[in-house]
Formats: sequence, C-alpha cells, structure tokens
Amino acid sequence: MDRPLLEINDLHVSVAGKEIIKGMDLQVKQGEVHVIFGPNGSGKSTLLNAVMHLPGYTIDRGVIRVKSQNIAEMSTDEIANLGIGISFQHPPKIKGVTLRNFLDAINRSEDLDEAVKALSMDTFLERELNVGFSGGELKRAEVLKLYAQHPDLLLIDEPESGVDFENIAIISKAINKILQKERPMRLRERAAIIITHTGHILNYVQADIGHVFMDGKIVCTGNPQSIMEDIKKAGFSGCSACIKQQKDHA
Amino acid sequence: MRELDDTTKETLKKVAYDESQERSATFLATDWEVIDLHSATQALEILPIKMALEKYAWLKDLMFTLVPKEKDEYVKKVASSDVLLGYFIRVKAGEKVALPVYTCYMINSDLFTQCTHNIIIAEEGSELHLISGCAANTHLLSGRHLGVTEYFIKENATVTSTMIHSWGKEVEVYPRSAAEVGKKAKFVSNYVALGSVKALQMDPIAHIEAGGLGEFYSVVYAPENSKFDIGSTVILEGDGASAEIVSRVVSNGGEVITRGKIIGRHPNGRGAMACNGLLLSNTGYIHAIPELLGEDPRLELSHEASVGMISRDELAYLMASGIEEEKAKSLIIEGFLDLKIPSLPDYLQKQINTIIKETKDFETL
Repeated sequence: MDRPLLEINDLHVSVAGKEIIKGMDLQVKQGEVHVIFGPNGSGKSTLLNAVMHLPGYTIDRGVIRVKSQNIAEMSTDEIANLGIGISFQHPPKIKGVTLRNFLDAINRSEDLDEAVKALSMDTFLERELNVGFSGGELKRAEVLKLYAQHPDLLLIDEPESGVDFENIAIISKAINKILQKERPMRLRERAAIIITHTGHILNYVQADIGHVFMDGKIVCTGNPQSIMEDIKKAGFSGCSACIKQQKDHA
Repeated sequence: MRELDDTTKETLKKVAYDESQERSATFLATDWEVIDLHSATQALEILPIKMALEKYAWLKDLMFTLVPKEKDEYVKKVASSDVLLGYFIRVKAGEKVALPVYTCYMINSDLFTQCTHNIIIAEEGSELHLISGCAANTHLLSGRHLGVTEYFIKENATVTSTMIHSWGKEVEVYPRSAAEVGKKAKFVSNYVALGSVKALQMDPIAHIEAGGLGEFYSVVYAPENSKFDIGSTVILEGDGASAEIVSRVVSNGGEVITRGKIIGRHPNGRGAMACNGLLLSNTGYIHAIPELLGEDPRLELSHEASVGMISRDELAYLMASGIEEEKAKSLIIEGFLDLKIPSLPDYLQKQINTIIKETKDFETL
C-alpha cells in the first residue's frame, strides 16, 4: 500500500526550448488516485508526456522514478513496460492498424473480451485505430487500451473532454474496475493520475488527493472535492488569489 | 506433375503458389517448361498458348491486339521468341468460377531470359479469379522475365487478377499487360511485390467500356538496391465507366516511381486515384506521378498523393502502449500495406493479406 509507484523530484521540463514545468514534486503510492486540476495550457499534459519520455519533451532537471527506477535513460516502451499506461486526450489515428491488431500486440489481460463488451467496442475491433471515431469512442478505445495493458499506474489525460454523459459513465465504470475500486483502499494495487480542467470526472471516479497545477508548478494539494468546490466558486483565478494571500500571510 | 524439391516449394509459397490451396485450375512453368497444367472444372478451359493456337485459328489474330508487338524492345523480344511459353484461359459464357486459377512462372536457371505470352478471355457474364505468381529460385544470380498478358473481358463479366512477385537482387522484370473491359464488366487488378528486384518496370493499360469498372491496387515494399517503376493507365471509353487506382509503396532504400493515369473521354465517367508512399530510409526515393486527363465536362476525376516517413506521433503512441520500436514500425508498415479491396471476395482478401504478412521482407528495417 505504501509502495511509491511514481516519485517526481524537482522536475523541470521544456518543449521546443520553452520551460513548461518549472520545478515540481509528486509521489504516487499504490492504491492512490491523484487528480490534477489546472487551466488550459498550464502544462498538465506535459507532465504525463514527460513521464512517458515522449519525443519533444526534454527533462532539463530533476528525477522521475517509476517503482524506484530512474527512467532518465529509458525509452518510452521500456517505461510503459514498467507498468505505466497512458490514456491520451488526443490519440493519433493509425490507418491500416485495426483495433484488434493493436490490442493483440499489447494485451496482458485475461478478460479483455469482457472489457470489449463493457465498453461497447465489439463492433470496432476490425476498424482502423481511432480513424473516424467520435469523441466518446476515442475515450472508450483509450480505456480499453489501459485494460489490455494491465498497468499498475494509469495516467489519464482529460477523460471527460468531448464526451457525453452516457460515455463518461461507461468510461468511468471501466476506470473504476481497472483501479480495483471495489476493494478496500489498502488492498488496491493500482494507482492513477487523472488530469482534468473541469473536474467533472470526479462525479464518477473517486479521487484521494487533489492538486492544482498552474504556471508549471503544483500550487496547492488537498482534498480533491474541496479543491473542486473552490474552483467552481472562484475559478482558477481564485486559486491565484488564494496563493497570493498565503504568501502575504507568510 | 513432376515432384517439386523443397527449395522450389518454398520459393513458390512466397508467391502464393501453394499446392494445398483449393483451386479450379493450375498452370506452372519453370524456365521454358510447363511442369503442371490441369483444370478441375468444365467451366473454363486452360491450355498452353502453343496448343491453344493450334486449336483456335482466330487466336493468332487476337494476340498482340491489346499489347502491340512494336510497343517496346521487351514486347518485340517476346514476339520474336523461338519458344512460345504462356497460357490461354477461356471462361465460358455465364460461368462463375468461384475458386481461383493459380498460375506461376519461375526462373530456375542463371542468366535465363523467360519470355511469356498469356491470353485471358472471360466470356459474357462469366467470372474468373486469377492468382499469378512470378518468382526466381533463391539460388539465382541473375535473370530476366519478359511477359505479355492480354485480358479480354466481355460484357457483364468479372475478372480479378492478383499478381504476386518475388524476384531477386539480380533479376530484371518487364511485364506488359492490357485489358479490354466490356460493357458493365469488371476488372480488378492487384499487384503485390515485397522484395528485392534489380529493375521492374510495368504500366498496365485498361480500356473500360460503358458502365464498366477497372480497379488497380498495388502494394510494393522496396528494399535497398531495388528499382521499381510501376503504374496503371485507365482509359474510360464509355458512358458511366469508372476506375480506381490505389498504390501503397514502402521504400526502405529502394527507388520507386509510382504512376497512375486516368483518361476520361465520355460523360458520367468517374475516376479516383490514391498514391501513398512511406519512406523508411535516407537512401532511395518514392516519386508519385498521378495524372488525370478529362475530355468531357461531366466527368468526375480526382487524385491524392502523399510521400513521407512514419509519423512520429503514431510511433510514440504505440511505444507508449508498451510496443518496442521495431515492432511498432512493423505494425505501422503492415497496416499501411494492408489492402482493402471492396470488390474482392473475402477469402481472396484474406489470402492476399496473409501473403503480405508472411512474405514481408521487413527484417532489413
């Protein structure tokens, strides 16, 4: 339960020479679900992409450890095979590669067929990956991918963006299943970081720890529901005012 | 039929000539010798071209009507060849032959120049599925294959022709083919070449009559030191004739010119072309040359062409799912080369895709 799956220390990340993440620390332990709130363009997705060592994301300073291993010299697939699965906000369309072929290449799950049905993806298996998929279908395919990968740590980028209520319910149910939410917290083996700017996903997936990410840093950590309520009331500008107030107070 | 040695069997398998596959007829020749020819159906007739010329006096006048003798030096060479090697296939009117006819030419001797001439006649309302393999035995150092094929597809008839090539680094290949596609007839031509060849040049031509359809699909994987100049020309000769040309080319150091030309001369003709190329290496090139010529305002002709490398985003996405880089590339390439031919029977579609999967020469990645 207390085993850290991800440890980030003093992380600085740049994209095309511009610093996006300006020093952040984060620790995610087994069984924990972290939610990161932040306005558009604050660098939330950059964090997930940097953890996966995607091309174009340069770690200028700091350390990322997955299951105690420094990933500095690892390739993206090696990091994924440490037990990390990422659900992208905008996955690419891959012509010619069917969803079935893709799942065959990554599957580690024993009950994938069940997940295919639960996510209503059975009629998509022979379709080209993400080609012509609607917003909801893209997200369902991304969650199905996580199901197949069977990862210990899920990185989920904006799961509710461009998705209707019906699809959010389907996706959330599957995420909760992957996260073993039916078990008591101390028996859950998996963890997640969920990125959101609306917080809507919290109505479906219960998070344990909330963070506000602004201007390349985590500026606030606490109860996710309380943070969401505050953001609903005063927006992210309320967060800025709160931080200023704290600084002045200090 | 003479028993084939294991090496020959392996070579033939690369071009889908598998003795265990169910079929309606067979033609197999190595160098100048026809070593197997039989038919399992009365619906079609298959003969060596020499025997067919003896049987049908009219055939002599039909030969070289679609591919003229003077077309180029290679056709001249075929026309003047001392040995007459080739097959004649005639599907009888109204007969729909569901099982494919397998034909195969193989070069077995070094420095051999194989000249062939094939005539295919699909009579009115008939249907034929032809799978033609061409290969050089693996030990071969050099050779040349010069082939002429003429298709006569009568009114309401359907012919699908799938040609699979597996040559060698020192083999030169110059096939010349042409099709006359009658009213409301359909001709689907698929071409698959997934390996080395010293030089391969061809530009099949199809003349499509009113309401007829011509579809040309080609899939080429060109490794280093291979040269391909492939393409198709379709002439829409009648009202409502239509055509589609689709080519998918991967160059891993090979030099590829991929051509496509649709000429529309009558109203309500439709033509679409898509030439897509994937470059895997800094050496080699893909030169896509799509051409459209419209001579009637009521035509609809279009084309798209692209040449580029494997998308960085696609590769990163697959790797982020735990697939290692080489396997991810292979998956993308296989997908790129995966033919989807709407008018092909399912079993043929599956078979072609299996061939692509099994004969791919991606180890050089």
